[in-house]
Amino acid sequence: MYNRERIIKSAAVGGIIVLCALIILKVDNILLSFILAFVISYLLAPVVNAAERTGISRKVAVAGLFLFLTALFATGIYLLLPVVTAQVSALRSELPHFIDGVSKLLITAETRINAILSGVYQLDVSATANRVLSGLSGQMFEDLPRYTSSSLAVLILAPFFAFFMVLDGQAAAKKILELVPNNLFEPALNLKHRMNAQLGGYIRARLLEAGIVCLVVWLGLAVIGFPYAVLLGTFAGLTNLIPYIGPIIGAVPAILMTLVTGASGLTVLAVVAVYTVAQLIDNFVIIPLVVARIVDLHPVVVVIVIIVGAQLAGIIGMIISIPVACILKLTAMAIYEHLVEFGN
Amino acid sequence: MTDYLWKNLFKRTPPEKALHAILRENILFEDLTSKQLRFVSNIVHLRKYSSNETIFRQGEIGVGMYIIVSGSVTISAQQANRGADKEAGKTIITRLGSGDFFGELALVEENGRRSATAEAAETTELIGFFKPDLLEILERNPLAGVKITLRLGEVLGRRLRETTERVSVLEEQLKRNRAE
Repeated sequence: MYNRERIIKSAAVGGIIVLCALIILKVDNILLSFILAFVISYLLAPVVNAAERTGISRKVAVAGLFLFLTALFATGIYLLLPVVTAQVSALRSELPHFIDGVSKLLITAETRINAILSGVYQLDVSATANRVLSGLSGQMFEDLPRYTSSSLAVLILAPFFAFFMVLDGQAAAKKILELVPNNLFEPALNLKHRMNAQLGGYIRARLLEAGIVCLVVWLGLAVIGFPYAVLLGTFAGLTNLIPYIGPIIGAVPAILMTLVTGASGLTVLAVVAVYTVAQLIDNFVIIPLVVARIVDLHPVVVVIVIIVGAQLAGIIGMIISIPVACILKLTAMAIYEHLVEFGN
Repeated sequence: MTDYLWKNLFKRTPPEKALHAILRENILFEDLTSKQLRFVSNIVHLRKYSSNETIFRQGEIGVGMYIIVSGSVTISAQQANRGADKEAGKTIITRLGSGDFFGELALVEENGRRSATAEAAETTELIGFFKPDLLEILERNPLAGVKITLRLGEVLGRRLRETTERVSVLEEQLKRNRAE
């Protein structure tokens, strides 16, 4: 009878996991909404726990926090929307000039390189790059309404999922654990706890990093009077989520803009200094103090994992590759400890 | 199967009140208020074992303790240097019944190994209380967590004193045997 129960329990756990995976992967916007909801729930769980410690019930704490954040988000949009809209429309009108400038830069660089190579190898990338850049700029603004509606769906779905994850996440996890067979129960519970601790720490640390980089770049560019400070700061913060190459990608638009617009040497230096300061704070303060303690992965493994993530799921894959690798490492360690090491 | 899943997902067995009563009787939770007990009973895990089913094995990494709701549990240890014949080296240490608890050392140890094997002697229902659960209680309801931790310290201290007394008695016996 109990063997039958064990089989049913294993099948139920497997079935639930497969079903959830299918829904998440097959339905539009669900995967991104779920990733964002996980991020939000890991970010808010310590705040809700702190409120609960004061004696407030979890329901009241979660509802109050989400109401407060909705108000905060609405105020933020109200205050920032005019600035962002102005910067986006300015960028839209300026973009052809920037692309033109980048094309000229490419042609000049290509000519110089070809002169150095003197017939050994003939570089011919400027024509292709021009075509791609022109197509991309036109498409970017044509696709903007579609991206906006898709983003709106994610922005509504993600907090909705996150609300229930924070409120009932533990209870739901307990219900799923009830279905785990007795012989695997303790390792499964331990694994869930370790994953939660590591993922929570990692997500909070990376968002703190992104937030600080965004703020430093935004303020720095605003202080030196560089245009599009909000957009460039946000872009730098977001790309900073991609390990190693993210910070470089984040700085590229501003550096290109200085080169294309023929800015003075002092401006170029100031822009480079802003990005460097942001990265110095990130690399010498936040990463050693916060991130390095959480993720115990060798740098070579990190690079391989990011490449695999990029191959499988593009930019999203690069961002989520490290936490996914951490989960896989913990799972492998738990299986090793339970089956192999103990078996010996 | 549908009925089985439905029963497992949505029906509480034993009822919440019974779970409260069992927890309240346990030394670790006896200082908790009704509200704190309700909080704790939403965190602990109720598990059912068939006769002769292993709860945990000696040498495994322990994650927490178990309280016996119904049925009984045999605690046994495997003696070292007994080779492949595991049954031959097996010593029954004790048999525990309803209300008893075991494995509490794992609540405070980091990756500590189980020092004995626990096996259900009959159809047995257990409440599992694990280290992640204790950490969650400490995080969300520190007052309840501290009360449990203090009682846990008391239990572990008592176990240590009992072990020290037992070692002393055995040493005395050994000395007497050598003298004879």
